[in-house]
Amino acid sequence: MIREPVTLVNRLGLHARAASRLVRTAAEFESTIWLERDRRRVNAKSIMGILMLAAPVGTELVIECEGPDEEAAMEALKSLVADRFGEAE
Amino acid sequence: MILSLGGTGVSDGIAIGRIHVLSSGELELPEYELEAEEVVGEIARLRDAADRCVEQLREMESGVGAGSGDPAAELLQVHRMMLRDEVLVGEACQRIASERINAEWALDRQAASLRRQFERIEDEYLARRIEDLDQVVRLLQRVLAEQPDRVLDERVPHQLDETIVLAEEISPAELTQLHQRNVAGLVTEHGGVWSHSAILARAYGIPMIVAVHRGRRLFREGESVIVDSHYGAVLATRDERLHGHYSEKLEVVRANRRRMQRFLDEPDRTRDGERFRLFCNAELVPEIQRCCESGAAGVGLMRTEFVFAQRQMADEEGQYEVYRAAAEALSGRVLTIRTLDAGGDKLPEELKRMRGPNPALGLRGIRMSLAMQDQFRTQVRAILRASRHGPVRILLPMLTTLEEARQAREVIASCREELASEGIRPDPEVPVGGMIETPAAAMLAERFAAKLDFLSVGTNDLVQYVLAVDRQDELVGHLLDPGHRSVIETLTHIVEGASRAGRSVQVCGEMAGDPRWVRLLLGLGIREFSLPPGQLAPVKAALVGADASQCRSVLREFLESGEEESARSLFEALDGSA
Repeated sequence: MIREPVTLVNRLGLHARAASRLVRTAAEFESTIWLERDRRRVNAKSIMGILMLAAPVGTELVIECEGPDEEAAMEALKSLVADRFGEAE
Repeated sequence: MILSLGGTGVSDGIAIGRIHVLSSGELELPEYELEAEEVVGEIARLRDAADRCVEQLREMESGVGAGSGDPAAELLQVHRMMLRDEVLVGEACQRIASERINAEWALDRQAASLRRQFERIEDEYLARRIEDLDQVVRLLQRVLAEQPDRVLDERVPHQLDETIVLAEEISPAELTQLHQRNVAGLVTEHGGVWSHSAILARAYGIPMIVAVHRGRRLFREGESVIVDSHYGAVLATRDERLHGHYSEKLEVVRANRRRMQRFLDEPDRTRDGERFRLFCNAELVPEIQRCCESGAAGVGLMRTEFVFAQRQMADEEGQYEVYRAAAEALSGRVLTIRTLDAGGDKLPEELKRMRGPNPALGLRGIRMSLAMQDQFRTQVRAILRASRHGPVRILLPMLTTLEEARQAREVIASCREELASEGIRPDPEVPVGGMIETPAAAMLAERFAAKLDFLSVGTNDLVQYVLAVDRQDELVGHLLDPGHRSVIETLTHIVEGASRAGRSVQVCGEMAGDPRWVRLLLGLGIREFSLPPGQLAPVKAALVGADASQCRSVLREFLESGEEESARSLFEALDGSA
């Protein structure tokens, strides 16, 4: 199991479009993936969970991945956040 | 009698039509308990309903062209994901099993529990996502109840171009369907500026008013109403003056649209066959999309002052997002970004403090950028990064010395190297142009042209500086004449200088957006115009109908005769003659 902090840098934070990209990315991996903000913890494969985090720009989140492809999942999610959810399209 | 209801206008425009009330979509939800052996079948029924909803949304997505950048596609996808989210359907299935209740009831309970969690969100935009949850749940309930889609319901007229649809609320999927049937206007009882359907209404240009409380109780089916989304008003009246007023307004809008369509479809050539190109002055994505639809060749002037007016946008990431969105919206057409031309009041405090006694002649445009290089570098880096998403050009405002052009290019080159060292490779050919808007730059146009990739004449400032007239000053405003001989000779000098250096000249500013003056510019040899999107149609009409050689000879006569001080009347006559 690995855990790493990230900071949201895109202007709107986890708005609907960003949340949908995050879910799509998380769903590509077998590992279980959690996002934590303060003491709230949601499944990164659940769009509703992510929207409920209500994370605006500047928010610090912790990503937790556990499973056979956890390293790759962490890498993918970190770069998605750093790319502001879409630069790589 | 007038019944006028106020709501929040979330888009611009007027619509006149008859009310059609969309059925509330409220269903009688059956609630019953299950026998143990019924549980498996009930779970399958809910799963199956979810699959059918997903399929329905997927079809709609391909209808609007998923991936083609249609704003609806991504929102429909969000709804599809919600249907696939185990927090909703999966948990509801759990409830079917553990509470031994039917699918509708379980879904309703699960939705209520999610809704409570959403209600705790303070962020205004995210709290609105509760609407998306409700819409998805309602869709699912309808499918479970085998009830028809309320938009595809046969009682809804097939063509809606004279219909104002009134509903408690409208989902993005429904709005997309209504848009495909050319709905004239939309009124909802709930919703806000950030509802997904409001966002779509803006993107599609549909007049829409939200938060019209109790609307369905006060307006009747088939009643004739006026929707003025600019003022957020829905008017039900037989008053002829009011109807006359709005019919006239709507007719003007429609006539312009028809006129626009007629001319915009024609090739960009004058009557005698000379080619020209029209660009837009635009900043925001929907505006840019409309420019593309109107056949503009790109954005000739994207001002960036608004980016600095909002603190959260002013950093590199914020700016990059804005420029990238603009570049993507242009899908391959050119985007000309003018670096900060500060001078107004819409600036952050730190910039305001730097205002000298006469801002028009003070630290503005490129002077400010070179004085505050950190900020300039931030902007240049953001622009260069955006150049990976479409052809981008940089435009430097308020040049007076060649040294400024040289320094600015140096900064741009150094930002490019810096980005390369970070592994980011911008478009290697980002052209750098200069605004010719001071008499100094105009006098040295040929030299500036040799140092830059293109020139853009900002006529508003140029005219004001050449004539020494402040256009805000009503005591001297009448002296501001773009047809003044001094202005025309200055423009002639610029065009000739640039052409000797082998560079083209674009004109932005009010002259380029005024049908009278574009013919004068055409006579001067200008072939590229950048104007406000709303002016595209009249300007194109003027150019398509113009005879370039006639414009040239009228201009030559004016320059040679030396009798008249202003070419205004000459070109006004020319405008009327064609």
